[in-house]
Amino acid sequence: MLNRLLKFTQKLGLYGVLGLSTVLASPVLASAEGPAYKNWDEVVAAAKGETVNWFMWGGADNINRYVSDWVGREVAKRYGITLNRIGINDTAEAVNIVLGEKQAGIDDDGSVDLIWINGGNFRTMKQAGLLYCGYLDLLPNNKLVDWTDISIANDFGLPVDGCEVPWNRAQFAFAYDNARTANPPRSIAELIAWVKDHPGEFTYPAATDFNGSVFIRHVFYYAAGGPKTLLGDFDQAKFDAVAPKAWAILNEMKPYLWRQGKTYPNAIATLAQLFANKEVALYFDYDPAIFGINVENGTFPETTRSYGLEDGTIGNTNYVTIPYNSPNKAAAIVLANFLMSFDAQYEKAKPAVWGAAPAIDLSTLSANDQKTFRALPRNLSVVAPEELAKYTLPELHPDWISAIETGWQENVAK
Amino acid sequence: MSERWKITLLLFPALFIIGGLFLGGLVFGLAGSLGYMPLIGLTDWSLDAYHRILSSDSFYLSFVVTFYIAFTSTLISGCLALGAALMLRQTFAGRSVINFLFQINLSVPHLVGAVGILYLFSQSGVFARLAFEFNMISKPADFPAMIYDPLSIGIILQYVWKEVPFIGLILLANLQTIGTNYEAVARTLGASHWQTFRYVLLPLLLPGLLSASMIVFAFTFGAYEIPALLGQNYPTALPVLAYQAFTNVNLGSRPEAMAMAMIIALMSGLMIIGYARLARRYIRD
Repeated sequence: MLNRLLKFTQKLGLYGVLGLSTVLASPVLASAEGPAYKNWDEVVAAAKGETVNWFMWGGADNINRYVSDWVGREVAKRYGITLNRIGINDTAEAVNIVLGEKQAGIDDDGSVDLIWINGGNFRTMKQAGLLYCGYLDLLPNNKLVDWTDISIANDFGLPVDGCEVPWNRAQFAFAYDNARTANPPRSIAELIAWVKDHPGEFTYPAATDFNGSVFIRHVFYYAAGGPKTLLGDFDQAKFDAVAPKAWAILNEMKPYLWRQGKTYPNAIATLAQLFANKEVALYFDYDPAIFGINVENGTFPETTRSYGLEDGTIGNTNYVTIPYNSPNKAAAIVLANFLMSFDAQYEKAKPAVWGAAPAIDLSTLSANDQKTFRALPRNLSVVAPEELAKYTLPELHPDWISAIETGWQENVAK
Repeated sequence: MSERWKITLLLFPALFIIGGLFLGGLVFGLAGSLGYMPLIGLTDWSLDAYHRILSSDSFYLSFVVTFYIAFTSTLISGCLALGAALMLRQTFAGRSVINFLFQINLSVPHLVGAVGILYLFSQSGVFARLAFEFNMISKPADFPAMIYDPLSIGIILQYVWKEVPFIGLILLANLQTIGTNYEAVARTLGASHWQTFRYVLLPLLLPGLLSASMIVFAFTFGAYEIPALLGQNYPTALPVLAYQAFTNVNLGSRPEAMAMAMIIALMSGLMIIGYARLARRYIRD
């Protein structure tokens, strides 16, 4: 009883900062647990000898290598933690495991310790109370994160509430082959005209794919005259006002798409294949680092170049999170802290390793570290992050995204 | 201990696993499909999920596509397997080698077969590249679409490639037990080759052929991975549609996923019952 009361007061303390009202107003609490550790040394001591089962999208060999080899070696050396990377195709698979465990009453011996996550999957876990929260203040590297940046404090419009640790930043960009395509379209308006002039040379993955969905959102923003009116909670009236315009644009493009738009690739990997095999002239990805990786491994031609749109492209932050029933929370916390460190973020930013944009605020680093970071070379095929960041568009609330995806299936795919 | 008890006791571990895991999952799925998922705050029993599914075009289109894929693959596999079994039953030079080659793809997983089909038949695959070399096409789009196509040619090719040896093996085993005596008798009584096959051998083989085909049909009807890899995005096979609903970030669409899974399970169940009836009738005849 006393223990419970203690935990409750702890929780109050934590959420006090974030606004108790929002927590109480949400139908399901994000998590009932506060941290059981008083200070960082306790966490590190408890973490020693533990194994972290990290479930993450496993579709890129270089990312897998960075995590399994480099991060795995470093945390073993520095903290005596064993890192076990479990590759999955869709983050929802890991969410479903935790959900199934909760259903089965496995509340403290789950099989998932850490998940690479953002957006809708984070919402799902929050909705079902599957998250372990409130340990961020313990992390020494938390001071490197700029929590006043709303694109970090909010994951697809949903407050992070101390339940996630930022890992990377990503911003959507287009890629083309310099040797094949002279003037790629630089805005959605130009793209619409370009597609008509180049029948069969463009397509996008179906809305069920993460990247296909974000492309459709760009068209949606264009139809709405910018994202401003779409921000915040889902609004059926606003949706109904914009959606028909967006579907009309996409349907107008349809006969000029690859295979006359009779079908769409099911996954972004298929679009990469089509681009590599010169079946289509344009490729795009939420993570521009992928262009460089594909050039390095010989999948894409060396003349691949990438760019953002003049009307801006959508950016997001992606995170790692700990399920409420992880049996190795201490080790997962230590790992999450290490992922935010200068060493880990710098290694990950090397173009030959991954080329991912850091989630930490570089201005918090020492002058020397900042210089090291800025001196990193960049693969020629990857658009400069500064260039992209000039025109960043925000992500929408998951409810908006769901509505757009469903609407696309019904009005365009059919 | 009586014999009866002994049998029950010996069967218990297997029954426990089947009953506990399979039926347990089925019951949870059924509850979920009826809108009962307390974990995500759904506690009202209702048929809403079924209503929503049964009133959407995509479900019916997916059903038609799934049935078409399963039926066509089974039919083609059955015919080819019958022909192959009859041929492999003869004695000829190199028979053991042919026999080995015939069975080899039984050990290759479906997924590996699907990737093979992708490399061979896609519009930038091996055959498309050959056609380009011989100036038969000038760009990938000229090559006929066999992957992600409305006719699901790639999916059917994959299933046929994999299921012909499966049905063929069962038929070969049947042929071995049947022997050649019946046919010899028919021939001595003046039946032609065709008549011997049509009125003697085929009826004897039919139960085996039917049971193997039913297994293939039920499998291809409920399989997810091949249509997910080689299928078009709309309309998609039922299992793919169910999985899309299951991995939808919105937990609210979970009941629909469960309802679809229930319908697929029901269909497969009906097919098994149908098969059992058919098989019994033919065996009795």
